[in-house]
Amino acid sequence: MNSTYYPELDETIFRGTLENGLPVVVIPRKGFTKKLAYFVTDYGSIHTSFDWEGRSFTAPAGVAHYLEHKLFDMPGGRDVSGEFAALGASTNAFTSYDMTAYYFSCTEHFDECLRLLLEFVSTPYFTAESVEKERGIIDQEIGMNEDAPDSRVFESLVQAMYSSHPIRVPILGTSASIREITPEVLHQCHQAFYTPENMLLCVIGDVDPEGVSRTAAEVLGTAHRPAGNKNRSWPEEMAVETPETALSMEVAMPMFNLAFKCESLGTGTAAIRTEMVADLAAEALFGESSALYLQLYEDGLIDSSFGGGFETIDGCALLLCSGDSENPQAVREAILARGRELAAEGVPEETFLRMKRSALGRRIRSLDSFDATCFRVCAYHFSDFDYFRFPEVYRDITAEEIRLFLDRVIQPERCSLSVVYPLEEGGDTIHESV
Amino acid sequence: MIQTISLQPGVTLRCFRDGRFKQGCLSFQLVRPMCREEAALNALLPAVLLRGTRQHPDLRSITEHLDTLYGASVSALVRRVGDYQTTGLYCSFMDDRFALPGDAVLAPMAEFLAELLLECPVEDGGYLPAFVESEKKNLIATIDSERNDKRIYAMSRLLKILCREDSFGLPRLGESQQVEVITPQSLYRHAQTILKTSTLDLFYVGSAPAEQVAQLLRPLLSRLDRDWQSLPPQTPLRSTPGDEVERMDVSQGKLCMGFVTPITNRSPQFAAMQVLNALFGAGMTSKLFVNVREKQSLCYAIGSSYYSVKGAVAVSAGIDFDKEAQTRAEILRQLDACREGDITPEELRAAKEAILSSLRATHDSPSAIEGYYATAALSGLSLTVADYQAAVTRVTLEDVVSAARQLELRATYFLRGGSQ
Repeated sequence: MNSTYYPELDETIFRGTLENGLPVVVIPRKGFTKKLAYFVTDYGSIHTSFDWEGRSFTAPAGVAHYLEHKLFDMPGGRDVSGEFAALGASTNAFTSYDMTAYYFSCTEHFDECLRLLLEFVSTPYFTAESVEKERGIIDQEIGMNEDAPDSRVFESLVQAMYSSHPIRVPILGTSASIREITPEVLHQCHQAFYTPENMLLCVIGDVDPEGVSRTAAEVLGTAHRPAGNKNRSWPEEMAVETPETALSMEVAMPMFNLAFKCESLGTGTAAIRTEMVADLAAEALFGESSALYLQLYEDGLIDSSFGGGFETIDGCALLLCSGDSENPQAVREAILARGRELAAEGVPEETFLRMKRSALGRRIRSLDSFDATCFRVCAYHFSDFDYFRFPEVYRDITAEEIRLFLDRVIQPERCSLSVVYPLEEGGDTIHESV
Repeated sequence: MIQTISLQPGVTLRCFRDGRFKQGCLSFQLVRPMCREEAALNALLPAVLLRGTRQHPDLRSITEHLDTLYGASVSALVRRVGDYQTTGLYCSFMDDRFALPGDAVLAPMAEFLAELLLECPVEDGGYLPAFVESEKKNLIATIDSERNDKRIYAMSRLLKILCREDSFGLPRLGESQQVEVITPQSLYRHAQTILKTSTLDLFYVGSAPAEQVAQLLRPLLSRLDRDWQSLPPQTPLRSTPGDEVERMDVSQGKLCMGFVTPITNRSPQFAAMQVLNALFGAGMTSKLFVNVREKQSLCYAIGSSYYSVKGAVAVSAGIDFDKEAQTRAEILRQLDACREGDITPEELRAAKEAILSSLRATHDSPSAIEGYYATAALSGLSLTVADYQAAVTRVTLEDVVSAARQLELRATYFLRGGSQ
């Protein structure tokens, strides 16, 4: 393991790659009792089309999430969550559009917990019966999601914005798509993407970095396995497909998502810089200290539920805001107008420096959170960037970059608005796409 | 570990000096006796103070100022600790060592705290009507939203039945009707009174020495015209029996059972009662979870909580309407098993481990440290985290049995479907 010291953050990070190709990152935190380990694969719900061992595969939507559920099954009826609980630890997992993560936190028995995590994630064990049983559970989860207005408003937004990118499909898949998932499909996806070199082990806490690396090598062995080659070609125009969509659901006030389509970032330092520029641009445009936020708040067009920022997913990016409003169209018009104004005038230097300082301070503070830090280290690792270098990236960003970003992105043809309206009195009519 | 400085009569600063963190926190709490007349005023006050000051007259200028302090945050802090309600502000900010050379965060943060508390604009003997009216609306929405979560709603109903003669039955944020009648003038007068007379607790976690923190807070304290009235100590629950069924248009029933015990966090048997609660009903290895939910599938969710300041244990279960009698009997049967010592060594170990594990992590974040020690001092709990751990470790099977025998069922509440 090699160590790097980051003086601006007062952190020393250990990194290494096992013989089998697994990258390992350890963030030692002396004097803390909690230990957290993330075992993550660079594979999420959007990676359904891939080549592996000379063949092309198209997996059903929702397979990454289904696989996440089923990996907790072990031969011999072992109960993984119970085994963690017996060690005083807790375990969980999540699937996003472009990543699947398994993790545990503990205060003692760290080495045993780490072994257990590595073991269960790398042991595919799927019986026809248990895969069948899971279908009902996941179908219920899909049903719950369909009743959740905040999920529906986002799904409707991205379907209106994108023509080919698989962000159009919900992470969980659909009732129909999960019917096609079999033990064989799960095995193929596990073989293709749960290979050491497609994964990352990240540990934070008062642990011995060499010990982590040794344990991982013992449990996972030395064998290299080729990873599946993901199809990541999703051609997209920057103009959105549909500028406005509407649904009706059980909500008290209209709920909206408003977004501007942005160019996909790619990977590396340039990509991260663009991401930080975009974050600052979002802050300047509609952040809590912006003139627009106060104006909209005082005019009663938004309330404290309003918020937004820049979202990136493998192959796509969007500047997004959301909230409750009696008049979402007026919010859109105000954001467009103010965006064009900022694109013309730029952000005053003093405002820009203040925003940069705030963003930097909040990122430094968030390093105290083990969970947030592990998550970011993993996400940025798969974007080929060392997260702990964020202070130097911030240092060089200029106000002009913010202006150029807004000038490029805040365009009516890139904008889409999705609204969930309250059900009309006594009726359950749905006004679909306007 | 904690350094306690008495700054004035009734004003205490506690400091937990620790250089491990990248951020620090500073809390300011006025401690009030929990009572119907002022609960809503205390809940509303910090929200209004955060709307603007004479120098920073609106939300935007407050956010801008916090931006210059490296993205610091200030939020309203309203707690219920046994017989008391606290009201105040909680500041969270980057540690000075990461600031640009010559820059500081802690000192200007302490100044800003004083500004928020003392320089909220006043007209006609009251706070600005625009601030007060919009925050009243927000507070009422928060209070009403409790009804949306039927589990929380049912539990507050149970506490109302069990605590008809005790302030512990009052909701933490007061009641909507009490919020409605607040005027800019009544809120301002209340603020002046409580700043003058209340017990004031300050808590700091971070890398600065206690004496420096005290020095930074003295200007704030010197501006308060103090006439301290001390608080009565915490009292055990004055419980009332009751058994209530309410009908509402819901699809899942909520059964809540309230037990009382003479064991509080001031009692020698405190750790044993905590272990009993964990073993009986808190968490995924408890008797209620394993037997009532997993083995017998009587409920969707089940859990118990121990209100240690007052000496009460409440069990809540989400069930089908027709399972009420059966679930009620089964919960009591599991408690009987505890009373008879029908407890495996694994159950005892898992219960102790669950408590120890959360105690061990207490010192891992500034907010958890503040949360533990700032409320422990008020609740009458005199154990440090280390003493508490030692006490839990020493708990034996006999201790748990004895604690179980000192629990008595006092009140129940059942929320069921159907409109009458």
